[in-house]
Amino acid sequence: MDGTLVGLTAFAFLILLLGLRVPIAFALAGVATIGTFVIFAFRTGTFSPDRAFRPTSSLVFSNSFDLIHSYDLSMIPLFVALGHIAYRAEITTRIYRAARVWLAAIPGGVAMASVVGCGGFSAITGSSIACASTMGRICAPEMLRMGYDKRLATASVAAGGTLGSLIPPSVLFIIYGIFTETSISSLFLAGIIPGLISLLGFLLVIWVWVLRDPSAAPVEDGVTSAKERLHAAIDAWPAMLLFVIIVGGIYGGIFTATEAAAVCVSAALLIGFAQRRLTVKSVIEALRETVIQTTSIFIIAAGAKIFVAFIALTGVAGEIVGAVQAADLNVVVLMLAIAAIYLLLGMFLDPIGIMVLTLPLLVPLVEGYGLDLIWFGVVVIKLLEIGLITPPVGLNVFVIASVVGREVPIDRIFSGIMRFLTVDVIVLALIMAFPILSLLIPNSM
Amino acid sequence: ETTLIFGEAGPNRGARAASTNWFAEKATELSGGDLKFDIQWGGALFKAGAALNGVADGVADMGTVISVYFPQEMVAYGVADLPLKNDDAWVGMRATDALMRNNAQIRQNLADKNLVYIGTFTTSAVHIGCKGTAIRSVEDIEGLKVRGVGAYGDTFKDLGANMVPMSIYDAYQGLDSGLLDCSQGYSYATAALKQQEVINSYTLLNWGQVGGLGVLMNKDAFDSLSPENQQALLTAGEGMADELGRLITADNEKAIETMKAAGVEVIELPEADREKLVETGAKYVDAWMERANGSGLDGAAILDEYRALIAQYTAERDEKGYPWTR
Amino acid sequence: MLRRIERLLVDLSILAVIGLGVMITANVLIRTLFNSGVPDTTFIVAELMVAAVILPMAATTAARAHIAVELIANQLPVRIHDGLIVFGSIFGLLALAPLIWAGWREAVHAFEAGSFFFGELHLPKWPGRVIFLVGISFCWLRLAIMVITDIRTMRAGGNLSGNHPEEAA
Ligand code: NA
Ligand code: NA
Repeated sequence: MDGTLVGLTAFAFLILLLGLRVPIAFALAGVATIGTFVIFAFRTGTFSPDRAFRPTSSLVFSNSFDLIHSYDLSMIPLFVALGHIAYRAEITTRIYRAARVWLAAIPGGVAMASVVGCGGFSAITGSSIACASTMGRICAPEMLRMGYDKRLATASVAAGGTLGSLIPPSVLFIIYGIFTETSISSLFLAGIIPGLISLLGFLLVIWVWVLRDPSAAPVEDGVTSAKERLHAAIDAWPAMLLFVIIVGGIYGGIFTATEAAAVCVSAALLIGFAQRRLTVKSVIEALRETVIQTTSIFIIAAGAKIFVAFIALTGVAGEIVGAVQAADLNVVVLMLAIAAIYLLLGMFLDPIGIMVLTLPLLVPLVEGYGLDLIWFGVVVIKLLEIGLITPPVGLNVFVIASVVGREVPIDRIFSGIMRFLTVDVIVLALIMAFPILSLLIPNSM
Repeated sequence: ETTLIFGEAGPNRGARAASTNWFAEKATELSGGDLKFDIQWGGALFKAGAALNGVADGVADMGTVISVYFPQEMVAYGVADLPLKNDDAWVGMRATDALMRNNAQIRQNLADKNLVYIGTFTTSAVHIGCKGTAIRSVEDIEGLKVRGVGAYGDTFKDLGANMVPMSIYDAYQGLDSGLLDCSQGYSYATAALKQQEVINSYTLLNWGQVGGLGVLMNKDAFDSLSPENQQALLTAGEGMADELGRLITADNEKAIETMKAAGVEVIELPEADREKLVETGAKYVDAWMERANGSGLDGAAILDEYRALIAQYTAERDEKGYPWTR
Repeated sequence: MLRRIERLLVDLSILAVIGLGVMITANVLIRTLFNSGVPDTTFIVAELMVAAVILPMAATTAARAHIAVELIANQLPVRIHDGLIVFGSIFGLLALAPLIWAGWREAVHAFEAGSFFFGELHLPKWPGRVIFLVGISFCWLRLAIMVITDIRTMRAGGNLSGNHPEEAA
């Protein structure tokens, strides 16, 4: 049975099931399992299901289990916990009070501060999902409380989270570097300008949004005195301290980004108990929310991982790349085709899965065209980041959705995301059209 | 015509990938074009930790299995990971290949797990790169923050190093930020991971290698092939040692040059210190033997056979040179 | 009864998250202060991750916290929307069944083979696999019960998408 046909049919079924409101994790895992079974059952040409049980079972188990059974990903539940604990310890309220007092005059100032905060946080931790997890819990509810438009409050944080991989350090760049034998430090440097342009783009979206609809971001009336500002800033010290711990610890070589999550949770607990704002009961409640949220995100990622393995088995990625290669396109059309492939896969799959599926096939092709692999890396990472916020499967959006709960439905968040996506596409076009934006810093080092 | 699915957890770059591709092409050629390969790189089908069951259950027909991930199931293969003063990539691979291929006990042990041995890789000799410090003697190891693997890491710890848990991908960042002083590695990988950008010394330990990794095949899939095709796979698998030996030796030399060009000081550990490493690591050889005995193998016999094979291939190398220089 | 088990599983998951935090923080402190470390942190953390992530699956299901695309469903009449919710649960039963079987196979295999992690403590591989099996199995059970009660609710003329009878129970 033709693998490509099975792969494309599976994609069609996946879209259908998602449209029918089947939970995303079940849709991904179920379709991938059935597809895998079909492929193994037809491997010898005739239908022999008895040969398919063992390999199918082994594939679905190892891909879901190994994703979860991970030291590195322990960062995610811990950063989720940090968000919940900091919220209950009133650390987040205080930093928002400070932001409100300081940025009162700027329309949408708090949303902009959230995006910048996200940029900073994800820059440091290198993980977009971890960023959305923590900052989502910290920023979105506070903005909602301040009367921000629900779409703006949630979408700005989901989009801000995608800055994680372009701004160094970044796990995705490291994996790309290994697959292409390019310099990881050059890749890190190459991501800086495109990362900052993306950040500016997001700020611009917020600015225009609020300019056209001032009610989307209520402005505090009344002028605050210098004394009030100072007090608000001093009151926000626990958040500053956490920030100093993360930055100092990682760049000072005291702990890794993974370990930073645990250290920050411990520090937030210490501060919260010392200030008598936390009780054992409230911590347990925070952790209860943490584990439910973590589970709903991880099982989607596990489902996507099974789907990646299934797609690898179908060979559909190879077929598509082969078709692109055979078409002997000119370089502009080639890059557009590659962007289309990544955007399409990014609708459903996770960034690392997409890299593993595509890079072994695409890199030789791109090299054949004499394109710069550092620049291509920046393009790929930007495309993968966009995939984190495109419907129907946008992990960053789901993270925010699981924080705000039923208050803001997912399609509302996606509707807000559309404005950020528009700018993302423009930024992507700039990065693709002007390689100098990526290569300026690495080439001048 | 049969297409065999090959699962590989590593990227499609570097010496091991080149050797895997060589194997696939050789097997295709030897089978008269009858055998084709669909190589899945980067753990697209299964990660390294799931490779053994992945191959045994037939997720892939064959794949790269790294013994360190399966210390119980792959205990026999683990003999090639021991700190045995076994630092020549080609000698190590030849000895490991001969052991795995011909030892009846090991073959039966693999067959019980629905596996057939096809061919061997090695990481090549274990060395160590450091930032802001240099290991010039065994005494220098004390107090350093080190990322290490297997019995080598255990020995560093016994010598007073402070082990930092970290994946090989994070080592670059760990060295850069100062969280790590040193990271255990092997020359071509150290260069491929661009660690010369963050280290300033690289000490050649000439101590041992991580050699317990190679290609295993699903036994049902193997048995379903014609005898000619089976032979094609076995012959191509046996040839991997020579091919990877050639590639890795060249790559390692090139890597050392790359490091030197990047300003990294390359240090040769004195012979007396090397002996101390071997001595300190000896208890891990004993521990391995106990584990082998515990799983129904004759640990001492395997170790003796392996040592004899190392001696045999060392002599062959000294006498005739490497196959690609003959 | 099932509700109490679910609560227990969530509590165990919370303990696992606490364990993650304590273990990693301790490792950092011991390294920084005493230049030493907790043995096999990476393996213990990975095993705890399975508990943290998989054990609350049944409770997540009971709380209807699985993420789905509601865009189209929300435009449809309530009866059809509720029908889709039940269909989603039935599909979930189908999707999870192979994982239960696979989890069972792997747990038994890891136990029988005596598989362990190559660290200082030679920690066995079976606990994480058993936890995985337990978490998925209870999720399946909860889904099955939800399918039955949801169909009953719909037959009695109630609706699923508005209020959450499950949580009130
Ligand atoms: Na980053
Ligand atoms: Na997406």
